[in-house]
Amino acid sequence: MIAPRRLLTALIAWTVVSPAAGAAAQASTATISANVATLAKLTLSRSTAAFPDADPDTMPQVAATGGAITISVKARARPATVVLLTVQASGDLRSGLSVIPATNITWTATGTGFVAGTVSAVSPVTLASWTGSGLRSGTQSLFFRNLWTHPTGTFTVSLVYTLTSP
Amino acid sequence: MTRTARALATAALLALAVGARPAGQGRGGGGTPQLDLSVSPLSVTFASADPDTTPIVAAVPVVVSVRVRQNPGPWTLTVLAGGDLLAGSATVDISNVSWTATPAPPFQNGTLSKTVAQRLASGTGNVNPAQNGSVTFRLVNSWTYTAANYTQTVVFTLSAP
Repeated sequence: MIAPRRLLTALIAWTVVSPAAGAAAQASTATISANVATLAKLTLSRSTAAFPDADPDTMPQVAATGGAITISVKARARPATVVLLTVQASGDLRSGLSVIPATNITWTATGTGFVAGTVSAVSPVTLASWTGSGLRSGTQSLFFRNLWTHPTGTFTVSLVYTLTSP
Repeated sequence: MTRTARALATAALLALAVGARPAGQGRGGGGTPQLDLSVSPLSVTFASADPDTTPIVAAVPVVVSVRVRQNPGPWTLTVLAGGDLLAGSATVDISNVSWTATPAPPFQNGTLSKTVAQRLASGTGNVNPAQNGSVTFRLVNSWTYTAANYTQTVVFTLSAP
Protein backbone atom coordinates (compact mmCIF):
# COMPACT_ATOMS: atom_id res chain seq x y z
CA MET A 1 0.00 0.00 0.00
CA ILE A 2 2.92 2.35 0.44
CA ALA A 3 3.62 2.76 -3.28
CA PRO A 4 -0.01 3.38 -4.30
CA ARG A 5 -0.40 5.94 -1.51
CA ARG A 6 2.66 7.79 -2.69
CA LEU A 7 1.30 7.79 -6.23
CA LEU A 8 -2.06 9.08 -5.05
CA THR A 9 -0.36 11.83 -3.06
CA ALA A 10 1.70 12.79 -6.06
CA LEU A 11 -1.36 12.97 -8.29
CA ILE A 12 -3.22 15.17 -5.84
CA ALA A 13 -0.19 17.37 -5.36
CA TRP A 14 0.16 17.76 -9.16
CA THR A 15 -3.46 18.76 -9.36
CA VAL A 16 -3.04 21.39 -6.67
CA VAL A 17 0.13 22.98 -8.00
CA SER A 18 -0.65 22.79 -11.71
CA PRO A 19 -1.02 26.29 -13.17
CA ALA A 20 -4.25 27.59 -14.57
CA ALA A 21 -4.36 27.39 -18.34
CA GLY A 22 -6.03 30.81 -18.72
CA ALA A 23 -3.90 33.94 -19.00
CA ALA A 24 -4.35 37.26 -17.27
CA ALA A 25 -2.74 39.10 -20.15
CA GLN A 26 -2.57 38.67 -23.90
CA ALA A 27 -0.29 40.67 -26.17
CA SER A 28 -0.05 41.22 -29.89
CA THR A 29 2.64 43.16 -31.73
CA ALA A 30 2.04 45.21 -34.86
CA THR A 31 4.39 47.20 -37.05
CA ILE A 32 3.85 50.81 -38.04
CA SER A 33 5.46 52.05 -41.25
CA ALA A 34 5.48 55.58 -42.60
CA ASN A 35 6.67 56.45 -46.06
CA VAL A 36 7.86 60.03 -46.26
CA ALA A 37 8.86 60.80 -49.83
CA THR A 38 10.87 63.73 -51.11
CA LEU A 39 8.71 66.67 -51.98
CA ALA A 40 9.27 70.29 -52.97
CA LYS A 41 6.96 73.25 -53.31
CA LEU A 42 7.91 76.74 -54.48
CA THR A 43 5.74 79.84 -54.28
CA LEU A 44 6.55 83.30 -55.68
CA SER A 45 4.51 86.29 -54.57
CA ARG A 46 4.23 87.39 -58.19
CA SER A 47 5.22 86.10 -61.57
CA THR A 48 6.12 89.32 -63.40
CA ALA A 49 8.74 92.00 -62.94
CA ALA A 50 9.14 95.17 -64.96
CA PHE A 51 11.99 97.63 -65.18
CA PRO A 52 10.88 101.18 -66.10
CA ASP A 53 12.86 103.33 -68.49
CA ALA A 54 15.43 105.54 -66.79
CA ASP A 55 18.42 107.78 -67.41
CA PRO A 56 21.58 105.69 -67.07
CA ASP A 57 23.44 108.60 -65.51
CA THR A 58 20.99 109.13 -62.70
CA MET A 59 19.86 105.50 -62.33
CA PRO A 60 22.56 103.01 -63.32
CA GLN A 61 20.66 100.23 -61.55
CA VAL A 62 16.92 100.11 -62.15
CA ALA A 63 14.88 98.29 -59.54
CA ALA A 64 11.92 96.22 -60.64
CA THR A 65 8.56 97.79 -60.00
CA GLY A 66 6.51 96.28 -57.22
CA GLY A 67 9.46 95.75 -54.92
CA ALA A 68 10.94 92.51 -53.80
CA ILE A 69 9.50 89.12 -54.69
CA THR A 70 8.65 87.03 -51.66
CA ILE A 71 9.70 83.43 -52.11
CA SER A 72 8.35 80.55 -50.01
CA VAL A 73 9.96 77.15 -50.12
CA LYS A 74 8.71 73.91 -48.64
CA ALA A 75 10.86 70.86 -49.02
CA ARG A 76 11.20 67.36 -47.67
CA ALA A 77 14.65 66.00 -48.36
CA ARG A 78 16.62 62.89 -47.54
CA PRO A 79 19.05 63.06 -44.62
CA ALA A 80 21.98 65.46 -45.03
CA THR A 81 21.03 66.45 -48.57
CA VAL A 82 20.91 69.97 -50.00
CA VAL A 83 17.69 71.64 -51.05
CA LEU A 84 18.57 73.98 -53.90
CA LEU A 85 16.74 76.92 -55.46
CA THR A 86 18.17 78.22 -58.72
CA VAL A 87 17.31 80.84 -61.33
CA GLN A 88 18.04 80.67 -65.04
CA ALA A 89 16.97 82.94 -67.88
CA SER A 90 15.33 81.32 -70.85
CA GLY A 91 17.62 83.41 -73.02
CA ASP A 92 18.77 86.98 -73.34
CA LEU A 93 16.43 89.97 -73.16
CA ARG A 94 14.95 90.40 -76.61
CA SER A 95 12.99 93.05 -78.46
CA GLY A 96 12.61 91.97 -82.03
CA LEU A 97 16.12 91.56 -83.30
CA SER A 98 17.61 93.62 -80.49
CA VAL A 99 19.29 91.75 -77.68
CA ILE A 100 20.50 92.66 -74.21
CA PRO A 101 22.44 89.95 -72.39
CA ALA A 102 20.56 88.38 -69.47
CA THR A 103 23.59 89.02 -67.27
CA ASN A 104 22.39 92.63 -67.02
CA ILE A 105 19.81 91.43 -64.53
CA THR A 106 21.07 91.00 -61.00
CA TRP A 107 19.44 90.46 -57.64
CA THR A 108 19.88 90.97 -53.95
CA ALA A 109 18.20 88.70 -51.45
CA THR A 110 17.19 88.46 -47.83
CA GLY A 111 16.44 85.41 -45.75
CA THR A 112 18.37 82.49 -44.36
CA GLY A 113 20.03 80.54 -47.15
CA PHE A 114 19.39 83.18 -49.84
CA VAL A 115 22.29 84.77 -51.72
CA ALA A 116 22.69 87.58 -54.24
CA GLY A 117 23.50 86.76 -57.83
CA THR A 118 23.49 87.53 -61.53
CA VAL A 119 21.08 85.97 -64.00
CA SER A 120 22.55 83.70 -66.64
CA ALA A 121 21.03 82.36 -69.81
CA VAL A 122 23.62 79.61 -69.92
CA SER A 123 23.35 77.85 -66.57
CA PRO A 124 21.25 77.97 -63.42
CA VAL A 125 22.49 80.27 -60.69
CA THR A 126 21.95 79.53 -57.02
CA LEU A 127 19.40 81.77 -55.34
CA ALA A 128 19.19 79.78 -52.09
CA SER A 129 20.24 76.51 -50.53
CA TRP A 130 19.58 74.65 -47.31
CA THR A 131 20.31 71.30 -45.75
CA GLY A 132 17.42 68.98 -44.98
CA SER A 133 13.68 69.33 -44.80
CA GLY A 134 11.79 72.41 -43.73
CA LEU A 135 9.90 75.56 -44.59
CA ARG A 136 11.89 78.63 -45.62
CA SER A 137 11.15 82.05 -46.99
CA GLY A 138 13.05 85.04 -48.28
CA THR A 139 12.92 87.90 -50.74
CA GLN A 140 14.55 88.59 -54.05
CA SER A 141 14.94 92.12 -55.42
CA LEU A 142 15.66 92.29 -59.15
CA PHE A 143 17.75 95.01 -60.77
CA PHE A 144 18.54 95.92 -64.37
CA ARG A 145 21.94 97.33 -65.23
CA ASN A 146 21.13 100.48 -67.19
CA LEU A 147 23.65 101.43 -69.88
CA TRP A 148 23.79 104.00 -72.64
CA THR A 149 24.87 101.23 -74.96
CA HIS A 150 21.68 99.23 -74.63
CA PRO A 151 19.51 99.25 -77.74
CA THR A 152 16.09 100.81 -77.38
CA GLY A 153 12.92 98.78 -77.23
CA THR A 154 10.72 96.83 -74.90
CA PHE A 155 12.63 93.73 -73.92
CA THR A 156 11.31 90.59 -72.37
CA VAL A 157 12.72 87.37 -70.98
CA SER A 158 11.50 84.54 -68.77
CA LEU A 159 13.24 83.55 -65.57
CA VAL A 160 12.88 79.93 -64.53
CA TYR A 161 13.01 79.19 -60.81
CA THR A 162 13.82 75.60 -59.98
CA LEU A 163 13.59 74.00 -56.54
CA THR A 164 15.17 70.61 -56.08
CA SER A 165 14.88 68.39 -53.04
CA PRO A 166 16.96 65.23 -53.46
CA MET B 1 -8.59 -5.40 -10.05
CA THR B 2 -8.14 -5.08 -6.31
CA ARG B 3 -10.00 -2.56 -4.25
CA THR B 4 -6.79 -0.61 -3.75
CA ALA B 5 -6.03 -0.50 -7.42
CA ARG B 6 -9.59 0.52 -8.20
CA ALA B 7 -9.42 3.35 -5.67
CA LEU B 8 -6.12 4.47 -7.07
CA ALA B 9 -7.44 4.49 -10.62
CA THR B 10 -10.47 6.51 -9.54
CA ALA B 11 -8.28 9.02 -7.75
CA ALA B 12 -6.05 9.32 -10.77
CA LEU B 13 -9.00 9.99 -13.05
CA LEU B 14 -10.32 12.60 -10.66
CA ALA B 15 -6.92 14.23 -10.49
CA LEU B 16 -6.63 14.28 -14.26
CA ALA B 17 -10.13 15.64 -14.60
CA VAL B 18 -9.36 18.50 -12.26
CA GLY B 19 -6.00 19.08 -13.89
CA ALA B 20 -7.60 19.25 -17.29
CA ARG B 21 -10.16 21.87 -16.27
CA PRO B 22 -11.06 24.40 -18.90
CA ALA B 23 -8.56 27.14 -19.49
CA GLY B 24 -8.99 30.01 -17.14
CA GLN B 25 -11.02 28.14 -14.61
CA GLY B 26 -8.95 28.26 -11.48
CA ARG B 27 -9.35 26.51 -8.27
CA GLY B 28 -11.35 27.82 -5.42
CA GLY B 29 -14.16 29.05 -7.67
CA GLY B 30 -12.61 32.47 -8.36
CA GLY B 31 -11.05 31.49 -11.68
CA THR B 32 -8.41 33.12 -13.81
CA PRO B 33 -9.81 35.37 -16.52
CA GLN B 34 -9.47 33.98 -19.98
CA LEU B 35 -8.46 36.63 -22.48
CA ASP B 36 -8.33 36.50 -26.24
CA LEU B 37 -6.87 39.28 -28.37
CA SER B 38 -6.34 39.51 -32.08
CA VAL B 39 -5.18 42.38 -34.26
CA SER B 40 -5.57 42.39 -38.02
CA PRO B 41 -3.71 43.38 -40.05
CA LEU B 42 -0.50 43.42 -38.04
CA SER B 43 0.99 46.15 -40.18
CA VAL B 44 -0.08 49.77 -40.22
CA THR B 45 1.17 51.81 -43.17
CA PHE B 46 1.08 55.54 -43.73
CA ALA B 47 1.44 56.57 -47.34
CA SER B 48 3.42 59.64 -48.31
CA ALA B 49 1.33 62.75 -48.83
CA ASP B 50 1.59 66.50 -49.33
CA PRO B 51 1.35 68.11 -45.87
CA ASP B 52 -0.54 71.07 -47.36
CA THR B 53 -3.35 68.97 -48.79
CA THR B 54 -3.17 66.08 -46.32
CA PRO B 55 -2.15 67.42 -42.92
CA ILE B 56 -3.25 64.15 -41.30
CA VAL B 57 -2.47 60.83 -42.98
CA ALA B 58 -4.82 58.00 -42.08
CA ALA B 59 -3.88 54.34 -42.37
CA VAL B 60 -6.20 51.51 -43.30
CA PRO B 61 -8.27 50.65 -40.20
CA VAL B 62 -7.09 47.83 -37.97
CA VAL B 63 -9.61 45.41 -36.51
CA VAL B 64 -8.95 44.61 -32.87
CA SER B 65 -10.92 41.71 -31.48
CA VAL B 66 -11.31 41.31 -27.73
CA ARG B 67 -12.87 38.44 -25.83
CA VAL B 68 -12.93 38.29 -22.03
CA ARG B 69 -14.33 35.32 -20.11
CA GLN B 70 -14.51 34.21 -16.51
CA ASN B 71 -13.67 37.70 -15.45
CA PRO B 72 -15.47 39.24 -12.50
CA GLY B 73 -13.46 42.46 -12.51
CA PRO B 74 -12.13 45.13 -14.85
CA TRP B 75 -10.21 44.51 -18.06
CA THR B 76 -8.04 46.86 -20.11
CA LEU B 77 -6.60 46.92 -23.60
CA THR B 78 -3.54 49.13 -23.97
CA VAL B 79 -1.11 50.00 -26.73
CA LEU B 80 2.53 50.94 -26.27
CA ALA B 81 5.04 51.97 -28.94
CA GLY B 82 8.56 50.56 -28.86
CA GLY B 83 9.96 54.03 -29.56
CA ASP B 84 9.76 56.83 -32.06
CA LEU B 85 9.34 56.15 -35.77
CA LEU B 86 12.85 55.37 -36.97
CA ALA B 87 14.67 55.43 -40.29
CA GLY B 88 18.39 55.23 -39.63
CA SER B 89 19.28 58.34 -37.71
CA ALA B 90 16.07 60.10 -38.75
CA THR B 91 13.18 60.06 -36.30
CA VAL B 92 9.58 61.15 -36.12
CA ASP B 93 8.24 61.48 -32.60
CA ILE B 94 5.74 58.74 -31.94
CA SER B 95 3.38 61.27 -30.36
CA ASN B 96 2.58 62.32 -33.92
CA VAL B 97 0.66 59.06 -34.26
CA SER B 98 -2.81 59.00 -32.80
CA TRP B 99 -5.84 56.80 -33.31
CA THR B 100 -9.59 56.92 -33.44
CA ALA B 101 -11.48 53.83 -32.37
CA THR B 102 -15.06 52.64 -32.52
CA PRO B 103 -17.34 51.58 -30.98
CA ALA B 104 -16.96 53.76 -27.92
CA PRO B 105 -17.21 52.36 -25.35
CA PRO B 106 -15.41 50.12 -24.86
CA PHE B 107 -12.90 51.52 -27.35
CA GLN B 108 -11.53 55.03 -27.09
CA ASN B 109 -9.33 57.46 -29.00
CA GLY B 110 -5.77 58.19 -27.99
CA THR B 111 -2.20 59.08 -28.88
CA LEU B 112 0.74 56.71 -28.98
CA SER B 113 3.43 56.91 -26.35
CA LYS B 114 6.77 55.17 -26.13
CA THR B 115 6.90 55.40 -22.34
CA VAL B 116 3.39 54.85 -20.99
CA ALA B 117 0.94 52.28 -22.30
CA GLN B 118 -2.14 54.11 -23.53
CA ARG B 119 -5.65 52.78 -23.00
CA LEU B 120 -7.37 51.66 -26.18
CA ALA B 121 -10.35 49.95 -24.57
CA SER B 122 -11.61 49.00 -21.14
CA GLY B 123 -14.57 47.53 -19.34
CA THR B 124 -15.78 45.33 -16.55
CA GLY B 125 -16.81 41.70 -16.56
CA ASN B 126 -17.01 39.51 -19.62
CA VAL B 127 -16.96 40.33 -23.29
CA ASN B 128 -18.34 37.18 -24.83
CA PRO B 129 -18.77 36.73 -27.71
CA ALA B 130 -15.74 38.69 -28.86
CA GLN B 131 -16.17 42.34 -29.70
CA ASN B 132 -14.45 43.91 -32.68
CA GLY B 133 -13.13 47.43 -32.63
CA SER B 134 -12.08 49.46 -35.63
CA VAL B 135 -8.90 51.39 -34.96
CA THR B 136 -7.67 53.97 -37.45
CA PHE B 137 -4.16 55.24 -36.85
CA ARG B 138 -3.34 58.75 -38.01
CA LEU B 139 -0.02 60.48 -38.58
CA VAL B 140 0.44 64.23 -38.30
CA ASN B 141 2.04 65.15 -41.62
CA SER B 142 4.80 67.74 -41.71
CA TRP B 143 7.22 69.41 -44.09
CA THR B 144 9.89 69.06 -41.44
CA TYR B 145 10.05 65.26 -41.62
CA THR B 146 13.16 63.90 -43.25
CA ALA B 147 12.30 61.90 -46.34
CA ALA B 148 12.71 58.22 -45.45
CA ASN B 149 10.83 55.02 -44.70
CA TYR B 150 10.14 54.86 -40.99
CA THR B 151 9.13 51.86 -38.89
CA GLN B 152 8.30 51.04 -35.31
CA THR B 153 6.51 48.31 -33.40
CA VAL B 154 3.52 48.73 -31.15
CA VAL B 155 2.36 46.21 -28.57
CA PHE B 156 -1.31 45.69 -27.84
CA THR B 157 -1.88 44.19 -24.40
CA LEU B 158 -5.19 42.89 -23.09
CA SER B 159 -5.12 42.36 -19.33
CA ALA B 160 -7.45 41.64 -16.47
CA PRO B 161 -5.73 42.23 -13.20
